[in-house]
Amino acid sequence: MSDIKIDQILDLKGVPCPMNFVKTKLKLESMQAGKILEVLLDDGEPIKNVTASTKEEGHEILKVEEKNGYWNLIVRKSR
Amino acid sequence: MALKKYNETELLDLRTGGVLKQIQKDYFILRTRIPGGHLKAEKLKKYAILAKKYGKDYVHVSTRQGIEIPWIHIKNINSLLKDMKKFGILKGACGPRSRNLIACPGSSVCRFGFVDAEKLAMKLDKVAFGKEVPKKFKVAITGCMNSCAKPQENDLGFQAQGEPEVDLDACIHCTLCAKVCEKVCARGKGQPAIVMDKDKKPVYRKENCYFEGDCVRVCPVSAWKTKKVGFKVYIGGKVGRFPRFGTEIAEFVEEKKIPKIIEKSVEYYKEIANKGERFGEALDRTGLKKAKDKIL
Repeated sequence: MSDIKIDQILDLKGVPCPMNFVKTKLKLESMQAGKILEVLLDDGEPIKNVTASTKEEGHEILKVEEKNGYWNLIVRKSR
Repeated sequence: MALKKYNETELLDLRTGGVLKQIQKDYFILRTRIPGGHLKAEKLKKYAILAKKYGKDYVHVSTRQGIEIPWIHIKNINSLLKDMKKFGILKGACGPRSRNLIACPGSSVCRFGFVDAEKLAMKLDKVAFGKEVPKKFKVAITGCMNSCAKPQENDLGFQAQGEPEVDLDACIHCTLCAKVCEKVCARGKGQPAIVMDKDKKPVYRKENCYFEGDCVRVCPVSAWKTKKVGFKVYIGGKVGRFPRFGTEIAEFVEEKKIPKIIEKSVEYYKEIANKGERFGEALDRTGLKKAKDKIL
């Protein structure tokens, strides 16, 4: 999956729910449609909730991957 | 002005109409019902008018999704009932009859809901409300396994559930489905319903599924979808002085069967219960097997 070009990175490790989703949403709103955001999230509720909520907002999720104790969520901004 | 004297029959009539005596002399509480808890803003204004005109400018929001207006003086009851009718506000029940059917919002707004429980409750009001019964009879409908409308605490409860299925071609092998399954299905059933094989592909084992939909919600690419929706049915639940959870008697019951199940449950309750006895108490004597045969 090294062909995905990441435009922005948001490190939300240590940021609790629902602030992590709010920050993700605001970041996506500041970006142009089609641009790609990588979000770093804690294990447990954060990765579960932010993934579900980002999907519900209509963005395209390209990849969800566990790294060393945290998660990478890669999202393409929708219109 | 001399006050009208009410005899026992008239008092009973007032009670069935949702008018309850307060502890204070000459004052009554008006109990209304709001099927499914869905109340138009315009009608809410009418409640305000009544509370100002007849009560003490406040209402009590009941635990059964009704609004009660206390401090109605006995001489104003008739005129209040007229106004209430004009405004299209529905009377609640007291005494030995079935009560307001309660519901959570369900899928109308809630991300967990499998069905629009609120809309369903409004539709079922006619079937469930105001039937003469030995004690009382309460029905609840809830849109998912979170049980917000507490179907287990009602004489008859319906709880929506959903069976998931996975499209492996769409799967991106993130493993989140197995992760959420571990938290819910594994807790409810002892074993998770979703496990990952060595290629990080989900393997679904229906016998362990709790049918609550977390896998569908969390799946980033919608590879998990809800295949089938139905209702768990609980009977005999109550709270009161001697609480008792309802017993599950069926799974994945179709929505269109609900009106018949309500009717038959009320009928069976009347058949088996002594005066003053709740459904669950009567079921403790007569057993579940016969109840299932009669109701389902």
